[in-house]
Parts: sequence; structure tokens; C-alpha cells
Amino acid sequence: MKNGRKLWFVMLATSMLLTLFLSACGKGGSSEGSSSDPVTITYYTIDSPDRTFVEKLIPDFESKHPNIKVKVDKAPYEQFDSKLQANIAAKKSPDITSHFGYGGFMEYYNKGLLTDLTDIMKVDNFKASDYGIQDELMNIYKVDGKTYGIPSNNYVTLMLYNKDMFDKAGVSYPPSDYEDKSWTFDKMIEMAKKLTVVSDDITKTQYGVDFGWGELDMRPAYFGAKVYSDDAWTNGGKPSETYFGSPEAIAAYQKWIGLIWDQKVSPPPAFSKAVAGQFGDPFLSGKIGMSVVGSWSLASQKDFNFKVGVAAVPIGGNKDVRSVLYVDPLFVLKDSKHPKEAYEFIKYMLTTEVQEKSIELSGGTPPVNDNAKEKYYNSFEGVDPQVIKQVYEGANKYGVESYNHLISNYSQLNELLINEFQSVQNGDQKVEAALPGIQEKITKLLERLNK
Amino acid sequence: MMNKQLISRGLAFLILIVCTAAMISPIFFMISTSLKTKSEMLLFPPTWIPQSFQWENFKELFTNDEIKFGVLYQNSIIIAVLTVIGTVFSSAVVAYGFSRYRGKGRNLMFMLMISTMMLPYPAIMIPQFLLFSEMNWMDTFLPLIVPAFFGSAYQIFLLRQFFNTLPNELYDSGKIDGASELRMFRSIALPLSGPALATVAIFSFVWSWNDLLAPVLYLNSQEKFTLPIGMAAMISSKFRIAPWNLLMCAAIMAVIPVVALFAVAQKRFTEGIVLTGIK
Repeated sequence: MKNGRKLWFVMLATSMLLTLFLSACGKGGSSEGSSSDPVTITYYTIDSPDRTFVEKLIPDFESKHPNIKVKVDKAPYEQFDSKLQANIAAKKSPDITSHFGYGGFMEYYNKGLLTDLTDIMKVDNFKASDYGIQDELMNIYKVDGKTYGIPSNNYVTLMLYNKDMFDKAGVSYPPSDYEDKSWTFDKMIEMAKKLTVVSDDITKTQYGVDFGWGELDMRPAYFGAKVYSDDAWTNGGKPSETYFGSPEAIAAYQKWIGLIWDQKVSPPPAFSKAVAGQFGDPFLSGKIGMSVVGSWSLASQKDFNFKVGVAAVPIGGNKDVRSVLYVDPLFVLKDSKHPKEAYEFIKYMLTTEVQEKSIELSGGTPPVNDNAKEKYYNSFEGVDPQVIKQVYEGANKYGVESYNHLISNYSQLNELLINEFQSVQNGDQKVEAALPGIQEKITKLLERLNK
Repeated sequence: MMNKQLISRGLAFLILIVCTAAMISPIFFMISTSLKTKSEMLLFPPTWIPQSFQWENFKELFTNDEIKFGVLYQNSIIIAVLTVIGTVFSSAVVAYGFSRYRGKGRNLMFMLMISTMMLPYPAIMIPQFLLFSEMNWMDTFLPLIVPAFFGSAYQIFLLRQFFNTLPNELYDSGKIDGASELRMFRSIALPLSGPALATVAIFSFVWSWNDLLAPVLYLNSQEKFTLPIGMAAMISSKFRIAPWNLLMCAAIMAVIPVVALFAVAQKRFTEGIVLTGIK
């Protein structure tokens, strides 16, 4: 009985002590240093090796800038935005980040989260050419002539093809030269037909092409139709009008959906789900001949179970719009206490030496610095560097920046489109029947969001 | 007669076997994927039995410097165990109070407490974050553990209902024997509540074990990350093929403590039933 009482008190005391002890631990936080101490800036990113490689660059940066310390904070992709939001609310905003999560540049801009870097850059006499960055790319993250982000990576859209499947079907490979004007959308369909095998046995079924060109709202641009009024590109990504229901947009979407249901050369969503399963991309299963994807897919090519080739995206309805560019910038956040030091770190990330090192450390992230690109073209074993170079240069020449970086409230808009297009992609509804309704919903959504 | 019995038995077995197979196949596939190479994991149609068993996957999981699985595991265990201790202790005390004492406003207070269950986490996320940030608890386990020591509405509700079923006669006889209120809580209420306490322990353990958003918000340094953060990070790259084989190894390792806890607690369930009640 005595023992029982003792145990009871021990338990009570332990739990109380524990609480006390733990709260004491918490107080040992960091204290803000005086002005002579080095300042600490925080770089906030996604917790995955292709992003956190930045950690490995810090010792070198700190040795070159003894007055600046860099800390890397990270979160899984899905929670990236929540953590950022909470930290900003608690006045613990990181100094440097990018639109790594769901939100795009314009969401950050419109919420007033970004520091205008124009003055800092002017004082520093920043020249994009010193870092091998083309002026057109610098312009992407300017609003009203003011710079809110500096490009650091340059993804493009390209076509990957399954060489084994082409060899087996005896079809010649698609060209990698963007100046080859015979390489058109129709020619691609023709080629895809020769590769497509539709059988009752799903393991024997294969499709010619998977046309994942940008997000859904971008597809009309490829066929020469526009969905956003032009003011969106200058007023902070808030289109005054949208044209999803226009005859041109309908015709464009019909062509794309037609790949699945008219030409029958593209996999219906059910097939993609079945063969791709948890891995997301049906191309990886070896059941797709050509796949139009972001150039990040190239980084995983060594894991593919087949030989892969790289080709140009064919000409659609607009000969100047053939590739979606994903130029990722780095931002300095508004609440940063050390914008100048943060800017120093961004500059460091753009130098040729660091951009070259980053390719290796990240496992194939494309540099924005032209002087580092040669090294990038040479980082994919088994794929001809000349071909990658050709495709990259063509894509940049005939490229258009991804709308997810330019249109405001993009995540909501895109989610609406994905949901609404499901029935069309599944073949339950015709494009022309669905689009007027989609247009109406988008108008309502934008009215609410862009008030 | 004999035949008929045999057929119905066979049929029952057949149904059971089919159901079992359906339940077990995802687990089987998880184990099978965990033993595949990266390239076999992408094969279509997928193989059920790995071509060669890659036991090294488990080794890699623990030795990979970017994943630091051992650290994740340890952190998750520390947080979960302390959360369970905190929740069981605090919820039992509060529930006992709600069950035993009558007083003005008791029901109102109980309703108030129950209503906190209706607040979804995102609604309190930012204010709570600000609070813990002001207290300088960032990047510590405190925001994840300390709240458990202040009770959980759901668990209090669960325990109160259970305490309510204990007959008053037990307490009366306790009083006659000169037991204090604390003594009655310890010697009468708690021992008879084995199954309820086990339920609370399991719930709070699993909840803490699976929690992702709160640890992501409060923890910043890699040495403090928990299992769910580490596992979410493994599929965080939108640009690379996720290491599903390693992730499945991690999933197997993550399931073990939950299954073990359940096996242990299950015994308490039956014990509790045997012990409860007066004759």
C-alpha cells in the first residue's frame, strides 16, 4: 500500500518536473546580436535533396562573407505554404525564399510579401550580364519596372521519347532542332499513331504521346488562342477578362482532348492512373512513346528502364509559342531584417562557379547563368549534350513563361480547372459542352478573388 | 448432414480467405516494394515478388545522411511517449472531476470543453503559433508535448463516460474505509478503467505519431524532425522520382510501434472486462 502511494507521488512529481524542465529548455533561444556581430539570414526551401543542396554551399559562402551567417529552414512540399504563413504572422519571416510551394510569384507580390530590390541593385550596380542572365528572363519578375525577384534556375518544356519503343516500331526519332519547320503537331500525331497499340490486355497497350504542355490554362496558347486579357501581364496578374469559352479556346482544347478521344494516340486518365500508379508519370512505365514534360524529368532519366531521347516540342497553332518556361527566381521577403545581406547571398547563388556546383549538388537543376549551361548539357549520361543544348536553346527562343508565375491566385484557378476538366478528360463530356460552364465559374471566381 | 456442415464451413473459410487476401495485399505490396531496386519499382506491370531481395534498402534508410532515419525515429518516440503520459494523466484527472462532482455550471463547463473539439486545427494554428513563438518555444518539442499535459477534450469525454458507468457503491465503500478522494481515484477509478485508459493511450499515441503539420510548423532543425516530416520530405520533390522503395521501408518501420502498442493494449481490454463491476 505504501509502495502504491509512493508510485503515485513519483508519477505526479515526474510529470510536473518534466513540464518545468521542458519549459526551461525552450527559453534557451537565440538572442539578437549587436551590430558588430555577424547577421544571420534564413533561406527557406522545400525539404528535398534537389532543394536543400544549398546547405552544402553555406560554408563556402560564410568564409567569403564573414559578416553573414546563413540558416536553412525547410518544410515538406505540402506544408511549405502553411509554415511560411505562420512564420510571417509571428514576425519570424525568413529572408530568402521562392515560390517553391503552391503559390506563384504574383500571389507573393499581391499579398505584399516581397521586397523591391530595385534600389539595392542600383546602388550595387547590378548587371544581369555579369551573371550570364538574359534580360528577357530578368523582366519576368519585374512589375512596373521594379524588380521583385532574381532568376536562379531555368527549366523549360521539352519532349522526352522512349527510344526502345521507337526502335521496336521502326519509327524514326523526332527532331531536336526547333528550326525544323516540318516538325508539326499533325506530324507528331502521325508518328504517335504508329506507336500506339490498344489492346484488351493492359500490359500490351501503349500510347504514342502524352501531351503535358504547361498547366491546363496554358494549352490554348500553344494552339494560338488566348484565355487571359492582355492587361494581366502588366497589372499584377489580374486579367479583366477571360476567354475560356471563346471559339478559339474551344478549338484549342478540342485538339488537345482529341489526342485522347478522336486520334486515340494519348492515354485516357484511367490508363495513366493504372500504369503510373503512385509514381505519377505514365511515361516512366515505358508505355508512352513521346512525353511533353518539364525539363526536370531529365534529371531522373538514369533511373528509367529504357533509353530516353530528347526532342523539340512540335509547332502547334502559334509558331512562336512552343515551350513553357519555368524560370525560378529567388525573393527577398518584405519582413526581412537584412535585405542587403540576403541580396548578397542571392548574388552568390548566381555566380558561374556556384551555378555549376549546384547542378551537381542538386542532381541536375538547370542554371540560369548562360556560362554554366554547358556543364548542365553535359550532366546526363547517355543523352547527347549537343541535343540537349539544341532543345534548350530552341525552347528558350520559342518559350513563354509559365502562367503559374504570372497570374494572381493561380492555385485556386488551377484547382478549379483541374476539377472541371476531369469529366472532359474522362470522355464523359464534350469540350464544347463543358467550356461555357467553366468560363462562368472562372468569371465568378476571379470576381471574388480580384475584388 | 456431415456433408452440409462441411460445405458451409468450407464456404465460410473461402470468404474469410478472400477477405484476408484483400486486406493483406496492400501490406504485402508494401513489403515487396520495400525490397525492390529503384528500377524494378518503376516496372509495369509491377512484380509481386522482387526479382532480388534488396535488404540493403533498410540499411540505406538508416545510414543515409539526408534522411537520418534513426534520429527521426527517436524524436517521434520521445514526443509520442511523453504525449501519451501527459494525455492519459491529465485527461483522467479532469474526467474524474467531471464524473464525480456535482456543482453549479458543471454541465456548462463540460459543454464548453466539448465545444473545443469542433475547432479544426487550421483555425487555431496561427494564434497558437504566435503564442508558442512568444514563449520562445520554437524549434523545441515543447509545443508538441506540453499541450498534452493540459488534457484533450475528446479523451476527457471518453474517460468521463467510462467513469460514469462505475457504480457509486464502490466509492461509498471506499469512503467507509476512510479513503481520500485522491485515493479513490487511484485505487478505485483507475484500476477499473483499464480498457478506457488503454483506448486513450492508443488514440493519443497514434495521433501524436501521425501528426505532421504541427511538427513541421514548430521544428526547424533537422536533428529535431519527426518521422512524418522525414517521410513527407521523401516525396517532396516535384522534380525527381520519389524513392518509394525506401519510403516503404520507412512505412514498415513506422507501423511497428503502433502494432506493438495495440498488441499490448489489447490484453488490457480483456483484463478490464474481467475486473470491472460489482456482483
